[in-house]
Amino acid sequence: MSQSLQQRNTRSLLTWLPLVMLAGSVFLYLILMGHIRHMKHQQLQLKQDNAWRAFARDTLRVPLKLAGEYEIVPGAMGEDGATDSANLSRLAQTHELDGRSYRVTTYISAKEYRHLLIKVSLSEAIIFVLLLLSIVIINRFESRRLWKPFYDTMSAIRGYDIRQSKRLSLGSTTGVREFDRLNETLLELIDNVDRAYRDQKQFTENASHELQTPLAIIRSKVELLAEGPGLNEDSAQLLQEIAEANERLSQMNKNLLLLTRIENGQFPDMQTIEISDLVRRLGDFFKEYYANEGVQTKTDIVAGVTIRANPALIEILVNNLLRNAYIHNIPAGWVDVRLNQTALVIENSGPAIEGDPGQLFDRFRKGRVDNRTTGLGLALVRQIAQLYPFDVGYIYRDGRHQLTVTFA
Amino acid sequence: MKLLVIEDEPSLLNSITRYFRQEQFVCEGVSNFTDALRRIEDIAYDCIILDINLPGGSGLQLLQYLREDRKKDGVIILSARDSLDDKIMGLNYGADDYLTKPFHLPELSARVKALLRRKYNEGNAAIPLGELRIDLSARSVLIRDQPVALGRIEYNLLVFLATNKNRVVSQQAIAEHLYDGAADQAPGPEFVYSHIKNLKRKLKEKGCPEMIQSVYGLGYKFVV
Repeated sequence: MSQSLQQRNTRSLLTWLPLVMLAGSVFLYLILMGHIRHMKHQQLQLKQDNAWRAFARDTLRVPLKLAGEYEIVPGAMGEDGATDSANLSRLAQTHELDGRSYRVTTYISAKEYRHLLIKVSLSEAIIFVLLLLSIVIINRFESRRLWKPFYDTMSAIRGYDIRQSKRLSLGSTTGVREFDRLNETLLELIDNVDRAYRDQKQFTENASHELQTPLAIIRSKVELLAEGPGLNEDSAQLLQEIAEANERLSQMNKNLLLLTRIENGQFPDMQTIEISDLVRRLGDFFKEYYANEGVQTKTDIVAGVTIRANPALIEILVNNLLRNAYIHNIPAGWVDVRLNQTALVIENSGPAIEGDPGQLFDRFRKGRVDNRTTGLGLALVRQIAQLYPFDVGYIYRDGRHQLTVTFA
Repeated sequence: MKLLVIEDEPSLLNSITRYFRQEQFVCEGVSNFTDALRRIEDIAYDCIILDINLPGGSGLQLLQYLREDRKKDGVIILSARDSLDDKIMGLNYGADDYLTKPFHLPELSARVKALLRRKYNEGNAAIPLGELRIDLSARSVLIRDQPVALGRIEYNLLVFLATNKNRVVSQQAIAEHLYDGAADQAPGPEFVYSHIKNLKRKLKEKGCPEMIQSVYGLGYKFVV
């Protein structure tokens, strides 16, 4: 699983810093212990020397024992050496005076040293924790500041849509050379992609435009031929087939041109449209136009529903949805048109579509083989809906096709 | 009736002039701006069919010239551009109608005739067709003064066929004509047949002779 840059950074700090600090603490503890042992020994030795010197100078007056300080035992023998118990450290040495041996033991309290050790260790622990916290916090803050141009660039790219002809703007001076380079490179890349995309669209538009004239010529010649005196049933049949193919080509070309022009943003003007009127008017027409086929139409249109969009495009959207509902129907089927403030829902009876319903709105993706349609009608619907943006949905259940346009 | 067709594509120009000449129109054709300008200056036409994109200038300039000169020639614009803006601009320049390419010749013919009717009959227009009479201002159809009740689509269909009487009109041309949206996305021609059938039945019930003929599968012809 991926983590954010900051998470990773913090995590590595939190993994390694405590280990380093732990090692440092152990080291410090050992050093401190060594120093304390040395100090204790020095102090015991000093006491030993002082006590013995004082005793040697005046053996009668100086007491043999002072509790917690020293003890002199005449005539005793033994190894020299230091021993530690819980509360006391002692140093025993044998001295000689006038041929007699004395065993002198000096004491110091070990408690203070232990307390000192604990206090120093505790302070060190607190300092280390504070240090760790401040390093993590400073690091987070700093890296957020440091990586800000990167995140700015990222959100700018995320918001960039090649279909909207808006230029991407990235800061050219971020203060960090690497980020400047990144932005430059990205802008170059996007400019190139953008140019290729626009050329492609322009080409489609020009090609569709140029196709209009020959299509118009073919159509007019077919219409003239149809009037000709030499027409017989055989040639009429051929002419009919030419005419049909030419009509399909014209319609397809018209739709392609329209799609490209929508993509090229050539329908920018927005108006408040009373969509209730539009749906009623077109609905009435289709109802009447297809009534002879026995298709039952039911409408439930809330009056006064308005949306903001381009009027020409919305008419195409409504028209294509309605047309779709009647064409992909069954004999003696039904169409149900509902409009309210939030959505336009068009339902119709019909056989299930072949293939993936998710691709229904793709270009040239037809539900079934049908030479009456261009395969672009619903692609246009989606393309138009995306402009505003309206949500387009499709559901098929038990012989009901339901297409919904939800106004945002 | 005198017609001028201004269209830069010779083949299309030829189709249009030929189509109109078959209907006793006096029809001239020019294919560039200067020729068009000369003709417009010299002769008054009843109707001018004007392509926007011309070599040597724009059809809109010609239109502007016509209207500034207070010439009353009816103008129908033909354009490969079908955006609403172009349409509105054309009409604002003083065009009477606007048709986008590719178009059907019967549709162009119907538009021309409608324009001429508006221009010369001042509203109380009627199409007499023997025993049948279509009263355009009242939107009614009479057979020997007996009214025939027709639905909106059937009425429009009859008017379209009658306007193009004695000519073959394809199902596609009919479907596009019947569609009353501005979206240029007419429903398919496959159901024209059933409307023709209904229309014929209703006319026959009132004792009208068989006037609508099917021409092989190519289309229909209103024979008078």
